[in-house]
Amino acid sequence: MSKYRMASAPSTQVGQGGSLSRRTFLRGVSLSAMALSGSSLLAACGTEGAKQTAGSCVSEDLSASQKQLNFSNWPLYMDQTKVNQGGKSVTVYPTLQKFQQELDIEVKYVTDVNDNSEFFGIVRNQLAECESSGRDIFVLTDWMAARMISLGWLQKLDKNNLANVEANLVENLRAPSWDESRDYSVPWQSGLTGIAYNSELTSEVGSFEELLTRSDLKGKVTLLSEMHDTMMFMLLLQGADPEDFTSDEFGAAMERLQEVVDAGQIRSFTGNEYGQDLVKGNVVACEAWSGDVVQLQYDNPNIKFVAPEEGLALWSDNMLVPNKATHKTNAESLMDFYYDPKMAAELAAWVNYICPVAGAREEMTKIDPDLVENELIFPGDELMAKTYGFMGLDEKSEQDYQRQFAAVMGA
Amino acid sequence: MSVADVGETLEGRTGKPPRKRARRSGWSTGYLLLLPGLLWLLVFFVAPTIQLAATSLYDSAGSLEAGYAMTWSFGNYLDALSTYREQFVRSLIYATTATGLALLLGYPLAYAIAFKAGRFKNLMLMLVIAPFFTSFLVRTLAWKSILADNGAVVETLKSVGILAPDGRLLATSVAVITGLTYNFLPFMVLPLYASLEKIDPRLLEAGKDLYANGFTAFRKITVPLSMPGVVAGTLLTFIPAAGDYINSELLGTPRQYMIGNVIDNTFLVQLNYPIAAACSVVLMVVVVVMVLLYVRRAGTEDLV
Amino acid sequence: MARSTQDSRASGADLSLTSVTKRFGGFTAVDDLDLLVERGQFFALLGPSGCGKTTTLRMVAGLEEPTAGRIDLGGKDITRLRPYKRPVNTVFQNYALFPHLNTFDNVAFGLRRRGVRDVKNQVQEMLDLVELSTYGERRPTQLSGGQQQRVALARALINRPQVLLLDEPLGALDLKLRRQMQIELKRIQTEVGITFVHVTHDQEEAMTMADTIAVMNHGVIEQIGGPMELYDNPATTFVSNFLGQSNLVAGQVLGRTGDELVVEVEGSKLGVPVDRARQTSGRVWVGVRPEKVFLVSGGTSTDEGANVLGEARVIDVSFIGVSTQYLVRMPWGQELTVFEQNTGARERFGVGDSVDLHWTPAHTFALDASQDARAGDERYEGGLATAGVGT
Repeated sequence: MSKYRMASAPSTQVGQGGSLSRRTFLRGVSLSAMALSGSSLLAACGTEGAKQTAGSCVSEDLSASQKQLNFSNWPLYMDQTKVNQGGKSVTVYPTLQKFQQELDIEVKYVTDVNDNSEFFGIVRNQLAECESSGRDIFVLTDWMAARMISLGWLQKLDKNNLANVEANLVENLRAPSWDESRDYSVPWQSGLTGIAYNSELTSEVGSFEELLTRSDLKGKVTLLSEMHDTMMFMLLLQGADPEDFTSDEFGAAMERLQEVVDAGQIRSFTGNEYGQDLVKGNVVACEAWSGDVVQLQYDNPNIKFVAPEEGLALWSDNMLVPNKATHKTNAESLMDFYYDPKMAAELAAWVNYICPVAGAREEMTKIDPDLVENELIFPGDELMAKTYGFMGLDEKSEQDYQRQFAAVMGA
Repeated sequence: MSVADVGETLEGRTGKPPRKRARRSGWSTGYLLLLPGLLWLLVFFVAPTIQLAATSLYDSAGSLEAGYAMTWSFGNYLDALSTYREQFVRSLIYATTATGLALLLGYPLAYAIAFKAGRFKNLMLMLVIAPFFTSFLVRTLAWKSILADNGAVVETLKSVGILAPDGRLLATSVAVITGLTYNFLPFMVLPLYASLEKIDPRLLEAGKDLYANGFTAFRKITVPLSMPGVVAGTLLTFIPAAGDYINSELLGTPRQYMIGNVIDNTFLVQLNYPIAAACSVVLMVVVVVMVLLYVRRAGTEDLV
Repeated sequence: MARSTQDSRASGADLSLTSVTKRFGGFTAVDDLDLLVERGQFFALLGPSGCGKTTTLRMVAGLEEPTAGRIDLGGKDITRLRPYKRPVNTVFQNYALFPHLNTFDNVAFGLRRRGVRDVKNQVQEMLDLVELSTYGERRPTQLSGGQQQRVALARALINRPQVLLLDEPLGALDLKLRRQMQIELKRIQTEVGITFVHVTHDQEEAMTMADTIAVMNHGVIEQIGGPMELYDNPATTFVSNFLGQSNLVAGQVLGRTGDELVVEVEGSKLGVPVDRARQTSGRVWVGVRPEKVFLVSGGTSTDEGANVLGEARVIDVSFIGVSTQYLVRMPWGQELTVFEQNTGARERFGVGDSVDLHWTPAHTFALDASQDARAGDERYEGGLATAGVGT
């Protein structure tokens, strides 16, 4: 909804402009002149760089005196249950409640992250100016976390407060290329990107190559509009390493994607909404996120997830503490709390994404033994060995690659 | 007679000076009343528009990290137009088609509500507005179900041969235009209803008295008199439809992307602010110019 | 063929309504009405608002369908004919000019609908007739009320209807303009010779213009006749009061002397011509118009053969220039009105003077005593504004 509002706003104003009388118009012009001489003069001179450093943007930590925390997360990304409170059914978050009780920290939990880019748009102005974003901790996907780190918008975490994280973070996720010693980020949940298909409507789709070439799938396939996910597979298909590739290799991968699109194999590039299409049969096979597939399987057991022969993407949504957040220590307490395997298991049992906490699997046997064997929540070593991350990109390459990707999608 | 007397006495008693004073205070009150609106416009329209125009002229080689320099890069416009010409043209075609369809659907509906609904008039108006009580996204997503590949609509169209056996509606221009038409239909119906409802039924009687049968009376009297509604309705439909991107995103594919999607993508994903701004300015200018030409052509002196 | 239609249009035709009834739900607007309008007549339907006159007109135009009865025009049954197929045109109350068309196109509307190609000369002629030759380009909103009225007239007349219907055509105009338009309408009717049916609540307007007036009340026609006949010899108390003013006093028929009835009114014997009596025995209303009555000082009336009512007292005097209006109270308490022309030859009276009223029996009429003596009297029925009284 908010997206829509943003898009339509200028048009509405065009409408008003259309009916301006001559006099109002003239007055408008003089007002515009006033505005020009004011704040918008700045606009006429360009903008300054948005990059911050630990020196240029110093944050204060009031955790000692203020036992509170502002937490922004994605919807449905926290275990929840309904309880009856005074005759009304109220949603509560059991593990979060436990955290608040145990550490006596009041958490304001808001699920206002719907999209990495959109959320970036929301906090961009404040963080670029070294102002408070009003949040102490938010959760963003690897590539966006990488961008924020390179912009210097995040506070460095104090490992002394993160004993559980240090001890229990799974091995594969300890050293991403964009934050090699996890100084700024701690994974909240992880996920795999692979292939999903509807076994009622088609035979198994075992590789990305098949997905892009099998003629019986033509026009019934979707790819993700998330550039990093889709391009990782295209890079793998070209024999390049997604964690370390050149722009030539990227260009070649992009060319291959263009060919596939031109051949009419791809019905569409989608966000989360591929799930609905897959269940309804509009799409028979697609690039998909593991957590979504676990959910879809509850509704339709015919939906299968495949680890493609070429490999899978392993990605995380990471807890980050932005500049000017005044409760960093409290945030670190929260991170550490969720790296207690018991808490991690409780969380994983509800959200069904990959749990980045070692030892949670053992705890899960006590909660829900069925899930213990689910490779999409606790992937085995063999599966994990096939996973890749995506190279951290600087802003210019990111911009350039995104532009190329958008051009192929929309061609 | 007595009323006139009272009026005269009152005027005589108050005399001229108080009247003058009243007029002057009315004058300044008028401007004071304008003030909040003007401030609002200044802060939320004029300033952002200038900001937008300025951004569109930044050096597109800049970045968020390093900042953008004002280089008066009018080349951004050429870039935007050449790269996204297709989406611009598509936006205008989709919006025009959707507006035309909304007019075709909306006119009979508005006519029925205005003249034939009787005591159901208010109920029907409520039903026209009812979709606004749910979210725009939910409404649009509902069309995904309606137009699904193995849904009733597609099956029916296939069985009567309108759609090829392997054809589909979702992820095509048809779906996007359908969505646009549906979502903006109330904006068409309400002004049409307002102008139709205002028509004096005695004019239609006069038409019948002057040898116009029902259809001719409709064509020669109802239609011309509803033109202000037609103009307002088409503008209210066309303008937001041209800038929309939800319908193409949810019901179409990137091949159906409109300029709104381009602005969304260049602004939020590509972080190419100058090009995003240039696209926005072009959209604004194109729409304003088209609206001005249209309004002039429709000759709506009574409209404004 | 086309030629002959044109001719029959121009010459007008008889319009007849037979037992026409119109009900709206439980309300009967027009009740079993019979009416004959002869070709070329200027016919007025006169009555207070809500009397059914407009409904009658709309049934003739085809805008309402009668619940029962039939309507014939020039010998053809048009009861169920669609309005746009009737050779009848209407000048609507408030004119109903098309606001999106200029004067020329408004006037040309009917011709064009009938497929007439070259309308220019006819329209121009019609605009000349209504004296709006140079106003062709103007929109209705740019015209004055009187001009709009004339456009509406031209728009209807140009079609040469067999009957032209006018629904309160002058109601929205001020008094002066109304007078002017009354004369104008009459002139045009004489010129074009079309049958006019004119609906109005203004008795003076009806009398000024119409050849024949039908007075309507509560959905029925009270009386039809020429203006003079209606005024001098009203058939009902309603007509006697609605058309001008009347003094009605209660009386008892004693007998008959030659062509006159002898009626006793409060001890006085009054003569009423038999042919002016709607009832010839028992109780009656004896009526006389105020201007027919003369006043003399009490006890001095000597004129043998005149009707005399004595021992009245003047209670109000209004001087109106051409005449003086007296209000007198009779011994039995009733108030009567007397208009004396200010010829200078008549004696004047003041409030409190004792007077006798006398008039010639030939001006006396007698009405059915079972009718309400106040029917149609605007002083008692909420006062419809009429010209010529009290101003």
